[in-house]
Amino acid sequence: MEESPSAARMPLRNRLQGVLIRHESLRGFLLLAPALVILGITVAVPFLLMSAMSLWTQIGFDYADDWSLRNYTAILTEPLYTTLLLRSLTMAMVATFVTVVLVYPMAYFLAFHVHSNKLIWLIIITLPFWTSYLLRVFAWRVILGYEGVINSGLMELGLIGEPLQFLLYSRVAVIITLAHAWAAFAFLPIYVSLEKIDKSMLEASADLGEPPVMRFFRVILPLSMPGVIAGTFLMFIPTVGDYVTPTLVGGPDAAMIGNLIQLQFGTINNWPMGAALAITMILSITLVGLFFMALMHGLRRWAR
Amino acid sequence: MKIPQMISAAKRGTLSRRAFTQSLLAVGIVPVISQVAPQRARASGTRHATVFTWGGFDVPELYQDYVEKHGDLPDFAIFGAPEDGLTRLRSGFAADLIHPCMGDIPRWRSTGLFQPIDTSRLSNWPDVIPTLYQAPHNLDDADGGVWQVPFDWGQTSITYRTDLYDLEGEESWDILWDERYAGRIGMLASGDDAWWCAAIKAGVSFDQIHTDEAFEAIAAVLRAQRPLVRTYTDDTSSLNQALAAGEMVAAMTWNSSAVELTFEEVPVRFAQPKEGALTWVCGFMMTQNAPSPDSAYDVLDALLSVSAGEFLTGDYGYGHSNARVLELFDDEELAALTLSRDPADILDAGHRSIPQPPEWSARMNTLYEQIKAGF
Amino acid sequence: MTERFEFHKPNRALQLYAGLFMAMLYVPILFIPLFSFSDGLYIRFPIESFTLRWYAELFERTAVLRALENSVRVAVSVAIVSTVLGVFAAKALARYRIPGRGPILGFILLPLVVPPIIFGVALLLLVSALKIPLSLYTIAAGHIIICLPFAIATLLPRFEGYDAAMEEAAADLGENGWWVFWRVTVPIILPGIVASLLLTFTVSFDEFVMAFFLGGTDLTLPLYIWGQLRIPRAFPVVLALGTLILLFSFALVFIGLRIGRRGAIKLVDRG
Repeated sequence: MEESPSAARMPLRNRLQGVLIRHESLRGFLLLAPALVILGITVAVPFLLMSAMSLWTQIGFDYADDWSLRNYTAILTEPLYTTLLLRSLTMAMVATFVTVVLVYPMAYFLAFHVHSNKLIWLIIITLPFWTSYLLRVFAWRVILGYEGVINSGLMELGLIGEPLQFLLYSRVAVIITLAHAWAAFAFLPIYVSLEKIDKSMLEASADLGEPPVMRFFRVILPLSMPGVIAGTFLMFIPTVGDYVTPTLVGGPDAAMIGNLIQLQFGTINNWPMGAALAITMILSITLVGLFFMALMHGLRRWAR
Repeated sequence: MKIPQMISAAKRGTLSRRAFTQSLLAVGIVPVISQVAPQRARASGTRHATVFTWGGFDVPELYQDYVEKHGDLPDFAIFGAPEDGLTRLRSGFAADLIHPCMGDIPRWRSTGLFQPIDTSRLSNWPDVIPTLYQAPHNLDDADGGVWQVPFDWGQTSITYRTDLYDLEGEESWDILWDERYAGRIGMLASGDDAWWCAAIKAGVSFDQIHTDEAFEAIAAVLRAQRPLVRTYTDDTSSLNQALAAGEMVAAMTWNSSAVELTFEEVPVRFAQPKEGALTWVCGFMMTQNAPSPDSAYDVLDALLSVSAGEFLTGDYGYGHSNARVLELFDDEELAALTLSRDPADILDAGHRSIPQPPEWSARMNTLYEQIKAGF
Repeated sequence: MTERFEFHKPNRALQLYAGLFMAMLYVPILFIPLFSFSDGLYIRFPIESFTLRWYAELFERTAVLRALENSVRVAVSVAIVSTVLGVFAAKALARYRIPGRGPILGFILLPLVVPPIIFGVALLLLVSALKIPLSLYTIAAGHIIICLPFAIATLLPRFEGYDAAMEEAAADLGENGWWVFWRVTVPIILPGIVASLLLTFTVSFDEFVMAFFLGGTDLTLPLYIWGQLRIPRAFPVVLALGTLILLFSFALVFIGLRIGRRGAIKLVDRG
């Protein structure tokens, strides 16, 4: 490099290096650039494209770029779209609520009552989350099916005479499956927020003679709320758009908006409508999220 | 050396130790430095054809002649419904052959994505049953080819449990609308079958199916049925399992479900409804930009062979387009499979769907989705 | 202190709950291996006879092996690319004062909280607008988006956890930037790199939704399984395949999380 640079380039190079050394944020951006460029191309551009296409109209096998709000009007007025959207939001909410409630005691146990090998516990709890979603959903078919594990078990025990029908192809099935599949995602932030709580504070409260139940509601629960909120969002948002679970274990009453979006890009073959549905879904998730945040904010002020 | 070949070579004992070490190295290094997409080298020097079809049509039994010539199976891509496949092709997916049904041909042709097939390049073509391809929209006027080579034909009808379903009178589409068995009826999720069957049930003549009145009448029939339906699915595995378990007593299916359940000794019958079943002919179309047309012709010829037909009819219960296949089965066997020596007997006795424009398909599919969701 | 503080006393009810929780987490998954040894075509309880033939059949299917090969190719490439990008990005985020650090981190971690179907759809639109044919490349591009947040979140704590003075000392000795990076930085963050490679590999290897929208003729393993679920006679073989995938993924992730320590687990805290 230092051998014989052209006289003209030398100063420029030096200047560049000087700028880089002096402005470390510039160096930082340079390092970040590849990741940001890739994400920019693969996230930002497609989103713009999707927004544009949602304003087009499908005609036969072609699109008319007529920039109309027709797709959105249809989504807001036709009961099919509104119902599926509302149903997806409700089912995701119920599944998230169930999961957070079930996961909280486990996180509490691990944060306060386990004193050794915590890492191993954490790994074991999060392990299933990293593995094939398809297979985990599929496992529930095996369990909830008409001749599945639960029905055969109960029949064998003589508790039921006929297999229970509501187990598979139902909203219950979808909610159970979602709760199981996303447990780790809801678990981690709750655990982290509990783990962060300063134990000496709890001891202080114990010294003041507060009973454990009071201590939980006055100290632990409020301090762990950020984790609960993070867990709620982390699970709620992706589950709204799920279509694998409703397809495999849901019946006619459990179809979700994700199924409809997928159909627009397949059988129904109306891509602009699919794009409009996707955007409506993101917007409604955002709305629900903002509402939830406002609610939490209100609750906190009220509690004080 | 690629993993599949490597393993088969290891099985044959032809893999030298050096080659083995090399392949081990390759397994570790090649994916990193080479491209992501595999470029499979061929012994014959030609590229394999890519066949875009339904799950279950990717089995070696159907491609014996091809394997003999090329040493390996063609490449497959699987769709859930042909329309999904078409969407893929339109977004730039490269396949040589795709497997739609006859009613789709005019609409699919209008995309400009397909090319006529030169039947003189198919050695088995003289044996193909003419009624299966002689439709005006299938014959290419310019040079005597066809747009679709017929392969499988059969019926969409009802498979019902003879021991669980109490049949009153004749077999009829009413079985799927029988309120005594609410919650134990299975339906196909694809409108290409369900909509037309519902038209038969509603008494709508197929040449009127594009009218608003027809849409209303058919939708009304399907809405009335919805409370009775356990689930809508295209996945034969679920339907078969549900019928085998008695979770469903009757379901709309293709021939294969009844045949496979009979193999499993489940007491079922593939109904011959008095109003007539929905009959269909499906086959393969070749894409305009087929990457390997020569191999594709070999695939078509293999599919039309007697050996492929024997498997298709004997194991799956579908009719095959080669007339000589029917000679392998006696009348009793054919009747049990609800097939006939002359396909026209079956095809004309039932109702065959009539090609419709894309707007109709979009309207029908959207409406059927609405009905399935409860509206 | 131990006397009066109840956290050191075992709480029977909570222990029982933890046991039940773990059982509920794992038992459902264990039914896949269990039924993969069942002789019947349909899932039925109790299992009448056991067999290994589905596993034998599995290895006779070239389509399975081809899908496996495709999945490995995609996952290896995705793991390498997203880890390399992740190293640069995590270094930048941990080492430099960057204006707008928060929003940038948020943007990078965004894919964690956007439903995958949205990315699948959006990328499909982009790819078809540019007339790029669907292939393993498009799947890999989609996977990089979802893997990048995991890589960065695994690596970031590594960069934050060591003293930058070591790099500075090396630089003061007149070594150039790359040398410092290779000889000082990389060895220190190596466990993070290995963990990131393993975890991103598994995420890509098991990913279905993106692959569903962006896949072409070459199937990845989850796409293959999805296609086979519809076919009754293919069903037990799918269970056998699923068992092997689960075992393999469990092993990789276990190693990855152990090496990565808390990094990967802390990620959600930032999300």
